[in-house]
Amino acid sequence: MTTKIRTKRTLALLAVLALLATGCRDAGGGGDEALEDTQADLTEEPADTGAPTEADTAIQTPDATDEEPAGATEEETDGEQAAAGDVEFDVGVTDQACPEAANPDNGCIYLGTISDLTVGPFAALANPITDAQAAFWSRVNADGGIGGFDVDVSEHVRDNEYNPERHNQEYQAIKGDVLALAQTLGSPTTAAIIDDMETDQIVGAPASWTSLWAFEDVIVESGINYCLEAMNQVDYAVENVDGGVGSVIAVGYPGDYGGDAAAGVAVAAEANGIEFTNIETGQGPDNQAGAISGIVQQQPDLVIVTTGPADAGAIVGQTAAQGYAGQFMFTGPSWNKGLLDSPAAPAVESLVLLSGPWPPYDADTPGHEAMREALGDVDPNEGYTSGWAWSYPLRAALEQAASNGDLTRAGLLEAIGQIESVDYEGMLPEGAGNLAGDPNEAVVRQSVIFRPDPEAATGATLVEDFFTGPTAESYELEGACFTTTG
Amino acid sequence: MTRLLQALVAGLGNGSVYALLALGFVIIYKSTSVVNFAQPALMVAGATAVIYLGQAGLPFPAAVAGAMALAALLGLTVERTALRPMIGKPVFVIAIITIGVDIVIRVVVNRLLGTNLRAIANPWGLESFDVGGVFVQQRYLAMIVTLAVVVTLLFAFFRYSRIGLALRATALDQETALTQGISVGVTFALSWAIAGALAALAGTFVGTGQSIDQQTWIIALKALPAIIIGGLDSVGGAVIGGLVVGVIEALVGTYQPTYAPWLGNNFQLVSPYVVLLLVLLVRPYGLFGTPEVERV
Repeated sequence: MTTKIRTKRTLALLAVLALLATGCRDAGGGGDEALEDTQADLTEEPADTGAPTEADTAIQTPDATDEEPAGATEEETDGEQAAAGDVEFDVGVTDQACPEAANPDNGCIYLGTISDLTVGPFAALANPITDAQAAFWSRVNADGGIGGFDVDVSEHVRDNEYNPERHNQEYQAIKGDVLALAQTLGSPTTAAIIDDMETDQIVGAPASWTSLWAFEDVIVESGINYCLEAMNQVDYAVENVDGGVGSVIAVGYPGDYGGDAAAGVAVAAEANGIEFTNIETGQGPDNQAGAISGIVQQQPDLVIVTTGPADAGAIVGQTAAQGYAGQFMFTGPSWNKGLLDSPAAPAVESLVLLSGPWPPYDADTPGHEAMREALGDVDPNEGYTSGWAWSYPLRAALEQAASNGDLTRAGLLEAIGQIESVDYEGMLPEGAGNLAGDPNEAVVRQSVIFRPDPEAATGATLVEDFFTGPTAESYELEGACFTTTG
Repeated sequence: MTRLLQALVAGLGNGSVYALLALGFVIIYKSTSVVNFAQPALMVAGATAVIYLGQAGLPFPAAVAGAMALAALLGLTVERTALRPMIGKPVFVIAIITIGVDIVIRVVVNRLLGTNLRAIANPWGLESFDVGGVFVQQRYLAMIVTLAVVVTLLFAFFRYSRIGLALRATALDQETALTQGISVGVTFALSWAIAGALAALAGTFVGTGQSIDQQTWIIALKALPAIIIGGLDSVGGAVIGGLVVGVIEALVGTYQPTYAPWLGNNFQLVSPYVVLLLVLLVRPYGLFGTPEVERV
């Protein structure tokens, strides 16, 4: 075989790999079938689940040793009780102080983070989210910790690249060392570990808002989900867009993120007698031709965008360049203030409204003020706001578990079932954070509306504080709005 | 008709960018028989350089020229440090090294880009001409014109300059070129420098209509079907291949959801690869590639 032929065969092989890479990007890093295969493969290894066994949790002795290293394995921590009190604990909790502990006499609760820290579409949000959560838990530690323990969120931080398979791999790598997940970013990514989390009894705070989380016992979600938020978006546009809304297109990624919002748009469209079209689109600004063409061709009155920021900018900019002048509404994660410096900036400023689960970074609630004080001098970003707000339910759950005297995974899960409201320090309305209630009664139905504003700290100014549209108000949430089985 | 014309203009514009990238692949392949998988990294490095030079106050043309020079220097450095020691080794090994180089450069560039969206200040933005109801974006015209100028300059360079002639001679037969006094090492380095400059130019145009972020490099992968369709060792084929990929992608993206929805969502992403397979079935060496003659 000649060198040239070998080269061409190599090139053909790499071209196929490039095709796969493109396909994977389109599917959020992997299709559902591949994901299920991966999950099946990984869950076939019971010896490596990291779940506390009956033997692990049943043997509890009061004479804890002081020689165990931080981050000890579950076997090493079997049968521990904190020196500071009569609290049972096992995996992910030690009576040794955290690295760089605020309270050297406290034990340590290790929480994991799996986030989109480098190359995924939400990296611009994920890094501030992670930083805000570090600041949140530092504040908790500075206030004395929880039940005689400090909380560490820096030892087990992993990058998922917004890839479900990678997310699962990282989860498997850290699950034996953490009590719970301070952050599991993404809807399709978290879906890739949700069965394992249930098996392992690992509680997680999601960095996403899909409606499925309301039905998952191991998820401590905050704020309105994409589905109900989309209903509010449509209802708000019907009331406020000049000329009314007769047609709406939902443009979003396939899967739990875009699909959940599209399901909400469909419900609101039907309730308002609006023509509805759903366009699923891939990741990458260069891959938006189908969505752009669909919008330009159909000329809807309203477009709900549920993508990453770069793709959202491409859709708005390119459709506006082709003469479209309807109203866009972005779901929260679609926004990045960098869009105000992008080629699409004029169109973004004139055509886009944004919605979100809570007021912006510079709002005047005690929670927002505490966040800004804890973060110090940072470049404002709504990722900080979200990361901070998402942490409150987990703090409440840990406090409840500590107060119950049981900081085992099972104990934490039991504590969640006892929490009927969470103190968000004003970041969410009263009554939010009912983790114990029926999903339909407990779910948050209020969202806020922003508009792009180059003068605002995060590029967006609040134009409508917490409100619930008539569609979301009357919607019976009896199951996840979007499921992979349709 | 309006949709068709708009799709064609967009396709030719984007295809021009793919063609610039494909030219870089082909120029390196012709001179070294190596497929340079670091081209995506050179593209984002060039785009990042334009961003920084623009922020430093340079006007757009100067920023682009500066970025092309820096990317050329980067390409030349890669050739001298990572690839020159591998001369004589199997080309497969060298190709794999270029993948490593790609990763290294992107890690560094990602640090410079950060996680926020970055914009390239440019004269066109998303401004359009309205030509009989067809919105023609200025940047697409700029891309097409730039490609035409680049191809003309490359043709003149290879046809009339001594170093261009040396490059062609090296591409034809390295040993014979050596015996004629041509410094093959210089031609290798020069081909990498040209590819780097072209990648920077392509990266600049990518950033005229969208933000630059850490995922922008993936766009450069579209040059792969372009070079295979056009022929791995054909400069003209690279141009045609790039334009074909751009136009096919735009037409499929525009019409497939309406007329062939059964193909599923986002079929445009795989459409260039479908064309690639069809071309390979008919012409295994690409539309303009040189057929391999084997003694059996």
